[in-house]
Amino acid sequence: MATVNEVIDTTIDDPGNRTPLVIGGHDYGSITRLVCGINESKTPIAWYIGMLMSLSLLGMLGGLVGYLIFTGVGVWGNNNPVYWGFPIVNFVFWVGIGHAGTLISAILFIFRQNWRTSINRFAEAMTIFAVVCAGLFPGIHIGRVWVFYWLFPLPSLQLAMWPQFRSPLLWDVFAVSTYATVSLIFWYTGMIPDLATLRDRTDNKILRIVYSVLSLGWTGSARAWSRYEKAYTLFAALAAPLVLSVHTIVSFDFAVSQLPGWHTTIFPPYFVAGAVFSGFGMVLTLMVPARQWFGLKDVVTLRHLENVCKILLATGSMVGYAYAMEFFIAWYGGNMYEGFAFINRAFGPYWWAYWIMVSCNVISPQLFWFKVCRTTPWLMFVISIFVNIGMWFERFVITVTSLARDFLPSSWGMFEPTWVDYGMLIGSFGLFFTLFLLFVRFGPIVAMAEVKSVMPHPHSPVHDDPQAAADHA
Amino acid sequence: MSEEANNTEPKLIGLMAQFDDPDSLLAACEKVRKAGYTKTDAYTPFPLHGIDEALGIKPTILPWIVLTLGVMGGFAGLGLQYVTNADWYPFIISAKPVWSLPANIPVIFELVILHSAIAVFIGMLFLNKLPTFSNPLFRVPEFARATDDKFFLTIDVNDDKYKPNKTRELLDGLIGQTDVIEVFEDPSPAELPKIIKFVGIAATVVAVVPPILLWRAYYQTSTVPRINPIRDMDVQLRGDTQTISPVFADGRTMRPRIPGTVARGEWVDPIMLTGIVPEIGGEQNVIFLQEEDTPEEGADKPAEDEKPAEDKPAAEEAEGQQPMADDAPAEDKPAEEAPAAEEKPADGEAAAEPEEPEPNWVKIAPISVTKATLERGRQRYNIYCSVCHGLAGDGDGLVSQRALQLEQPTWIPPTNLHTDYLLTQPDGKLYNTITHGIRKMKGYGDQIPAEDRWAIVTYVRALQKTRTGTPEEIPAVEMKELEIKGQ
Repeated sequence: MATVNEVIDTTIDDPGNRTPLVIGGHDYGSITRLVCGINESKTPIAWYIGMLMSLSLLGMLGGLVGYLIFTGVGVWGNNNPVYWGFPIVNFVFWVGIGHAGTLISAILFIFRQNWRTSINRFAEAMTIFAVVCAGLFPGIHIGRVWVFYWLFPLPSLQLAMWPQFRSPLLWDVFAVSTYATVSLIFWYTGMIPDLATLRDRTDNKILRIVYSVLSLGWTGSARAWSRYEKAYTLFAALAAPLVLSVHTIVSFDFAVSQLPGWHTTIFPPYFVAGAVFSGFGMVLTLMVPARQWFGLKDVVTLRHLENVCKILLATGSMVGYAYAMEFFIAWYGGNMYEGFAFINRAFGPYWWAYWIMVSCNVISPQLFWFKVCRTTPWLMFVISIFVNIGMWFERFVITVTSLARDFLPSSWGMFEPTWVDYGMLIGSFGLFFTLFLLFVRFGPIVAMAEVKSVMPHPHSPVHDDPQAAADHA
Repeated sequence: MSEEANNTEPKLIGLMAQFDDPDSLLAACEKVRKAGYTKTDAYTPFPLHGIDEALGIKPTILPWIVLTLGVMGGFAGLGLQYVTNADWYPFIISAKPVWSLPANIPVIFELVILHSAIAVFIGMLFLNKLPTFSNPLFRVPEFARATDDKFFLTIDVNDDKYKPNKTRELLDGLIGQTDVIEVFEDPSPAELPKIIKFVGIAATVVAVVPPILLWRAYYQTSTVPRINPIRDMDVQLRGDTQTISPVFADGRTMRPRIPGTVARGEWVDPIMLTGIVPEIGGEQNVIFLQEEDTPEEGADKPAEDEKPAEDKPAAEEAEGQQPMADDAPAEDKPAEEAPAAEEKPADGEAAAEPEEPEPNWVKIAPISVTKATLERGRQRYNIYCSVCHGLAGDGDGLVSQRALQLEQPTWIPPTNLHTDYLLTQPDGKLYNTITHGIRKMKGYGDQIPAEDRWAIVTYVRALQKTRTGTPEEIPAVEMKELEIKGQ
């Protein structure tokens, strides 16, 4: 039945032959069984262990958020002069991670990179959950969380005030909430056909009702597919500029201020490159173990991982270029405060953070120049962890070093994070992994319909019939 | 099944051919379309390229819907920002202009994307008539694989070209088809079960009540204080006056001034404040500060009132004088000495000496005497002094009259302001008496500001003049008026 050529090593490029995206001699039915089997099989013990760990971290996060709300933001280390501490660092870190998902689903779609179909669902889910983690921090950081709606332009008779549309922080509210909404409906729209597949396969009555409601009665009608594909293209066309705008606007939070080290025009592209870099780092961190545990090696082949490594190499080098260019402009611009800010970054009291950032973000991805590093999963996993660490430190360096030492030495001070700061950072991973584990258990983690559409068509009886072949032509 | 219960044949609504591979389906679609069928559809597990042409599916109008909504979103963003920031709330923040297009681009952009994306989602579902949970196709067991690995082609019985046998023959003859299935109408009743209806109505009612109550509370006034579930800054830790503070070592919430300092804007000329001309080269700052501050004593006795008049060391140290002042209240002589003990309350050494020389009293009030000052003095006098001293200063105020009437044994009649002793007293001393009190009279330094005390002093002088003045001292103009009034 399967006519696909068996190719063991898909990482070798043969110009005369298109490398198959799915290996292992799969047909449409076996792809369905492979992916749905993850949801339909008995829940593995490892899942319970992972869920227990994630839930305990999530519980800790919940407790800390409660403590924060009842006590006040003083439980954090945010204080004069570093008023923006861990919350904004964590916010930018998580928002950045989200960008890879949208990039894979939107920009790679526009560029017709068909290999994206194997990993896009996974990455989109990562986007949603990362944005949830990101949204938490500005949400709780406002102090009086019960009036969070003041962030939005809601009419009120009792408040003689209105959001300030000329402030980058308000642009940020709009950008991130738009990003969260669009990512969510994009992700959901992509899942409708796969949810229908799960609906049609399950025997469990409750799950059947849940999947039926979620799949909205999708039948796979050609007329529906026609509109669906148009909608998907439109989504991609909208999400591509959106994803670029979101981290641009996040960088405006910094760049529109007048603090040395922040007030630079390189910030928007530099932030976007960093976001894509960190996001792909997280994709690797999640994908390498997941393809192993869920037996997805035929769908997420080594070639897919190699492509992600290449993107990491490219964006990591862009980030390195941005670090160098910041230093160059600080010197070339001739502003003494700017010059000091960068010397202070690399050799001041936070020198360790700076060099962690440089070694993780600039040096470690350079290993991907070597093919052996791009094709050894455990090695890429290790590097991806370094990338995650480095990108968190990048935001820490940008936020804290500039605030700790700005203009007047009399107003300098050091930032001292509290145990609540550390707890919330760790707890946010609990939130992320809890959502992720729920998704891999109950949702379609590979876009089955999309993978089937990029597989070669099986042999058809029409090709044996001369009359039909003529009609078809 | 239910058709047996209804005892009617289920109605045929279409024929469906099943295929195992996409290319056979494409060829079949082509063939069916060429045969003239229009009410057809294909069902595939993934989007099949070329099926739009094969089935004759027209391009969707979705992009136009999205464009319209996106443009609307842009104008909404523009209008929202203009109307609110530039018109309704034109606050100038960070010297930014209330309306500047560049600063408003990000929000406009985001709203264009947001509106467009929602339009894509809603528009796609609307055009595809989703969600539709009840579909006759779902009753066909084989159809479950339409989302897995099988491909289906359907022809509706309402198609103009449909003829029971001919259409069946056409489908049977298709290359690659593995089965031809008849699709019947869903016989289950179209109406919702009653329980769902009931729950739906109940849920709607329950959901609507709280917003209505909130809305009512929002727009109505009430005589009871509002319910304030989140206290914000209404209730917070703070030091109230006259309470004990755990923060400071002396337990006082109200902080005495730090010795040797004066608060900004509170500096008053020492003469103005004390009525005493300071000695040249003396500690003039200390004098006026000590008039109100008693730092050392305050620190020793935290719980006590900090008013200088009550914890004066002089009262204890100069014991010989205090009883005299109390025992002979109506006499002028002790009255002279009692304030002397009180004049420099914290200056322990000086106060301890009984033969302390009279301070250098200011002779004439250090304020400009105008009609307004006198009027102010009259008003203040009538408020604070007249109750005891009487409106004319004869010491026969209402309180005094009443006290005498009740034969209160402790009552010391107030001084007649027209006695010679007071007539010759320097203004500064009179002022000092008002400030710190004398005998049973309490000090009014805390109630009456310095300016007003001087105004009272000048008014008292005016009162005295009404008894001692001669007609010659009255200006001619005033005299004339008086004569007219007298008649």
